[in-house]
Amino acid sequence: MICGIDLGSRSVKVALMAPDGSLTFHKFDTVSFYRQHGRMVEGQLQVDLAALGLGVPEKVVATGYGRQTINLKGAEVIPELKAHVLGAVHQTGLTDFTLLDLGGQDSKVVLVSRGKMVDFQTNDKCAASTGRYLENMAAVLDIDLAELSRHYRNPVDLSSTCAIFGETELIGKVVEGHPVANLAAGVNYTIFKRIKPMLHKLLTDTIVFTGGVAHNQALVKILEQEMQVPVVVPEYPQYNGAIGCCVAGS
Amino acid sequence: MQKVGMTTTIPVEVVYAAGCIPVDLNNIFITHEDPRGLVEEAETAGYPRNLCAWIKGLYSTTLQNKDIKTIVAVTQGDCSNTHALMETLEMAGIRVIPFAFPFDRDYDLLKLQIEKLMDALGTTWDEVYRVKARLDQIRAKVQELDRLTWQGDRVKGWDNHLFQVSCSDFDGNPDAFEQRIDAYLAELPQKEPIKADLRIAYIGVPPIVDDLYDYLEERGARVVFNEVQRQFVMPFGIDDLVEQYRTYSYPYGIFYRLEDISREVEKRQVDGIIHYAQSFCYRQIEDMIVRQKLRKYPILTLEGDKPSKLDARTRMRLDAFVEMLR
Repeated sequence: MICGIDLGSRSVKVALMAPDGSLTFHKFDTVSFYRQHGRMVEGQLQVDLAALGLGVPEKVVATGYGRQTINLKGAEVIPELKAHVLGAVHQTGLTDFTLLDLGGQDSKVVLVSRGKMVDFQTNDKCAASTGRYLENMAAVLDIDLAELSRHYRNPVDLSSTCAIFGETELIGKVVEGHPVANLAAGVNYTIFKRIKPMLHKLLTDTIVFTGGVAHNQALVKILEQEMQVPVVVPEYPQYNGAIGCCVAGS
Repeated sequence: MQKVGMTTTIPVEVVYAAGCIPVDLNNIFITHEDPRGLVEEAETAGYPRNLCAWIKGLYSTTLQNKDIKTIVAVTQGDCSNTHALMETLEMAGIRVIPFAFPFDRDYDLLKLQIEKLMDALGTTWDEVYRVKARLDQIRAKVQELDRLTWQGDRVKGWDNHLFQVSCSDFDGNPDAFEQRIDAYLAELPQKEPIKADLRIAYIGVPPIVDDLYDYLEERGARVVFNEVQRQFVMPFGIDDLVEQYRTYSYPYGIFYRLEDISREVEKRQVDGIIHYAQSFCYRQIEDMIVRQKLRKYPILTLEGDKPSKLDARTRMRLDAFVEMLR
């Protein structure tokens, strides 16, 4: 069994790949994962995988934002974008596409050609187009993420300059009396506006959309409408990086 | 001897010929024990938060070094924020001598600028050429270090950066600087070869972070070309001083710079290019042109803000880039 771990900013995703290629998944809150299940040993993070119910894998491959600051003991670490490309190729069977990965704080766009990354863009210095932003905005609207992800029609125009000032702006729009559906659509559209330049630079005839934000159906619709290409969301978008780690280790 | 601050590379021969000590304010800002503190000091004084950290650093550096009472400020060919830097320093009682590199690289205009600088500091062409001959001897040694960077495997990217960037003012003491470069070149054969299979070109202004080169080398990629830093060495073998600063590419347009970049990346057989741009700098816009003109090379654009180490996000991007080149 191979264990792939994606140390994300919001959650730690684990994929277990059995010898027959079948996959099982586990997800942990990032902070409690580090606090409750890990301890630092000689500058490396030791995690008791057996105690987490993950058994004793023959190999552990890790990636993610966390790997920049934390070396997971006993794990082979691979670059994050490599993991995402491997995961997307494995999940979709496609080899030429534009990968869009929207995670807790990350926006990544990767140009994949013949199964390999040939160029990429990532967000920098700001997380205004990420899952954390959607969570904040949903909280302002007092709806859950599932409800937020239903709306894409008649979007209220919101600036996309700052995730935090965006909340104040959204409250202003609530005061103006816009329906929640239009406000939610406006929030989803700000995500698109932010990533549009990155997508344009690396656009192909297919977008593979991964990361937790790929569960947002409204955004999928917006992407298809605006970019005029099919958007493929793999079965396990949020576990894509962890699956890529398993692929790298197999 | 009087110290003369400079906001970027200028014809340094003139400063030495006038019997003054040139001080590249960028170098003493970035090697200060707390460069971030200098940036914050300028912000406290009223400099906007969303402005390039170099300008803020130069402001505080000038004011902290009480022995610098005169600066030469490049008003054209570097950064237009220098105008306000000059004005705020003038308010603080600093004598400011403006210097403009003509955008169209006009010989006569450049000559006029150099002569105005000579008048302002008080020197003659004879003295300037005497200094040029001396500095060219030292420059030749730094050029050799640069050649060994791409034709050998023992010069670290950081050392290449540091020696070349220091040629803007020769650390205020050409003789001592020459001794250091001599010692470095002499020690080179005993150094361990750098094990890195990927060759990287670094283009754009020098980085505000200091661990980029080592980070790349740890991952098996090494910088074999530092574009702007190399320009500071004046590696052209030109006797005419005006022509030398007309050939120097940094203060002129991106298309002229790209001629030099294209030539060097080809010659040095690089696998990929890192284009560094400073946050809030107009040069960020030129990334569009760089990407189009150097399309056959993989390019990673990095943005630096405050003086610091590489942040986690930039490291992630560098990892992905190195992985992509393999």
